[in-house]
Amino acid sequence: MNRYLAGFRLQTALLRRAFGDLHTLLTVPVYTLIFLAMTDGVHRPGLSTDAVLAPALMGLWFMAVFTAGDLIVWDRHHGTLEPTVAAPGSLAPVITGRIGAVTLLSFVVYVESWAVGAGYGLRLTVHHPLVFLAGVVATAFATACTAAMIATLLVLPRNAQIYQNSVSWPLFLLSGIIVPISALPDWLRPLSRLSFLYWSAGLLRSALGTHPVDDALLRLTAVVLLGTVGAGAAAFLLRKVLTRLRVLGTLGYS
Amino acid sequence: MSSPLACPARPQALEVLRRAGAVALADLAVTYTWRTWLFGRVPRKLSQVAFFALIGRVVGGEDAERFLVVGNALMACAVETTLVVASSAWERALGTMPLLVSAPAPLAWAFAVRSAQWIISGTGASLVALLLLGPLFGADWQLEMIPVMVLLVVLTAVGTYCFGLALGAWVIDHPAQRNVVSLLANLLMMTICGVQVALDHWPAPVQTLAALLPITHELVALRELLDGAPLSAILPDAAAGALVGAAWLAIAVVAFGRVGERGRRDGTIEFGA
Amino acid sequence: MNAIQTRALRRVFTAGRDKRGKSGSRTALDGVDLSIPPGEVHGLLGPNGAGKTTLCKILSTVLVPTSGSASVMGHDVVTGLAAVRPLVGCVFGGDRGLYGRLSGRKNLAYWAALYGVPRRLIDGRTTTLLDRFGLAGRADERVETYSRGMKQRLHLARGLVHNPPVLLLDEPTTGMDPVSAMDFRRLIGELRNEGRTVLVTTHDMAEAEAVCDRVTLVNDGRILHSASPQELSALVSRYGRVEARNVPDTLTQRVRILPGVTRVATDTDGVTRIELASADAAPPVLRLLIERGVTDLATCRPGLEEVYLHLIADRGMEVGR
Repeated sequence: MNRYLAGFRLQTALLRRAFGDLHTLLTVPVYTLIFLAMTDGVHRPGLSTDAVLAPALMGLWFMAVFTAGDLIVWDRHHGTLEPTVAAPGSLAPVITGRIGAVTLLSFVVYVESWAVGAGYGLRLTVHHPLVFLAGVVATAFATACTAAMIATLLVLPRNAQIYQNSVSWPLFLLSGIIVPISALPDWLRPLSRLSFLYWSAGLLRSALGTHPVDDALLRLTAVVLLGTVGAGAAAFLLRKVLTRLRVLGTLGYS
Repeated sequence: MSSPLACPARPQALEVLRRAGAVALADLAVTYTWRTWLFGRVPRKLSQVAFFALIGRVVGGEDAERFLVVGNALMACAVETTLVVASSAWERALGTMPLLVSAPAPLAWAFAVRSAQWIISGTGASLVALLLLGPLFGADWQLEMIPVMVLLVVLTAVGTYCFGLALGAWVIDHPAQRNVVSLLANLLMMTICGVQVALDHWPAPVQTLAALLPITHELVALRELLDGAPLSAILPDAAAGALVGAAWLAIAVVAFGRVGERGRRDGTIEFGA
Repeated sequence: MNAIQTRALRRVFTAGRDKRGKSGSRTALDGVDLSIPPGEVHGLLGPNGAGKTTLCKILSTVLVPTSGSASVMGHDVVTGLAAVRPLVGCVFGGDRGLYGRLSGRKNLAYWAALYGVPRRLIDGRTTTLLDRFGLAGRADERVETYSRGMKQRLHLARGLVHNPPVLLLDEPTTGMDPVSAMDFRRLIGELRNEGRTVLVTTHDMAEAEAVCDRVTLVNDGRILHSASPQELSALVSRYGRVEARNVPDTLTQRVRILPGVTRVATDTDGVTRIELASADAAPPVLRLLIERGVTDLATCRPGLEEVYLHLIADRGMEVGR
């Protein structure tokens, strides 16, 4: 437990110092404002809900990719990875603790987009609070797991960071967070079901709607399941990273 | 070297700009290879443009779609050129600041060109987005429109670069804020300059601010071009865009002069390590 | 007219406010008067934090003095900025200040342009300098692939690219290997022969002795002493020292009463340090030790800090007198 806490505390301290790492939190209100302005005067049910929900989900994702995703790479750049690995005990709890800190902070994005929505005169009512709460928690879990996967994935290939930027927007499209997936070509649609954001967006959208929520449990399960797959992948990759560290002697940039 | 010592001549602006261009090109060659640009950077830009254009398809049909694809494709170059904010701060990291300050040439000359690589990559990104994605979202370019389109994209790239340059002069003394500053600049342009929503959506003071920022006028001109407006209608907007860019360049030159002066007074220009 | 002249030069740095909101200030230069005639190689010798770099910064126009004045070839560094800058070449040690992604040749050409070297001369000038500093073979390769020594040579070439009459070399041998340091001394000789005025800062006494026409010792932002290398070396030998192992107590007593011996102390490792007040005090001490069978011994030059301590102590006495 100590190692989880140590990781959590370290990350909180780091985040407090380096405000630049939190630039995602600056983008969320602006994207909310842009989406609200874009959808202004368009009468399509649920669209304004999406205009508030989508920036929050995008913010969650960006935090996972850029702030949490950079954890191990950052350590390697600063030469702190090796001592962390060399310390007794497993690396996984430390990383989990650190990602936990980032994920917890990510909840701010909901507040931000909600506040901008309210400022814009949009009144959102959570008609199904239990479903909404469960959806938010499950989404946080899946985000954290995916962040762990990205963090380990980015360490392996040398040019990974150039592609780090590239995945987000196609994923947003694929997940239908604001543009319904019906606007996508048919052959792409099955891929949507592999994205936890697709399930999360759908669930949270329904929780805000007046209609009864269909298949709530199924959709929750999908979010959690995809998160677990991400965590599994993270664990597998982390083992690979550590093996490489021990065999090659170093993970630092030579 | 046995010639008489020192031949103090005034530095020639063109020569400095030409040689500083070599720094920019060298940085470009390191930042992108053809492969990382084509398979990393360009797809990222295209997918972002497509994302917003598709929102247009959902909210407003063909017109909105076309509005958004043009706006976001042109915005792609601004996102690239405002990297000048960060790359200006690189001089601090390189340790070249004291040498640049103590050289006879004005500080702004070197900085004005040393990040020009982003103008090239930005122009490239916007052109690819306009030509490749445009037709998919209702922007049907006629062949004769292409030269004017290229001109407007270059104008936008240069204008937004000059805007970033002025911000870069501030960031030199606050290097930790470099990414936040360029991000805020981009978000501002994206929100109020007619990229995502029409200019008249915002209250009058915001519209005035937008008119003082680069990309606003070029974007109007580009949409006019697409609508088949005659050159005589496009030209004033293009000229306004050029004027705004030039004004930002002037601000940048003054700001860099201040950077040197302030550094000399505060003693913040460090030698060596 | 002196090539470099400073009068009552003073620079105070106001440090930013600390956590308690107090603002402090630090005096880096405190009334420095320095005159260096044209063509002289002048060494500025002092420990870290003595104010050497601050002086170089002021002379290279990247820092303005708080009070007093400084001029280069008769031009004031504050009011005659445009005249001073082309006259001064500035080199600092270490390998920063170069564009690693550019070739050595392009680096030089870039700085040549910034210094207003006429376009038709730039290519010839860079080629000559690359040859002179042994970089011709790799002139078109990226600087980040150069060794540390090559980067330092490129730095020197950069400082000369506009053919300045005055050169400021701030700790130029920092991190240089011994062979490069030798080359560097030869280079200073060449610069002198070309008629350039060179101000070189260092904390290495041997280096200062080897290359300078005159040396100024600075400490705490003030000039302690100006001397020729001969005077410096006399000064140094004056504060010489003999160190020996396994000296019996009885012998220690005899050494202590020899003329010129100021202090004898044995530490817990069994090393006896015999401090001397003059150069001719050493031979009798050494003779006595060897006669008594002490062979594990060495004569030592004092470190810079010791010379400083002696000088400060001497001056204190002068003031007290």
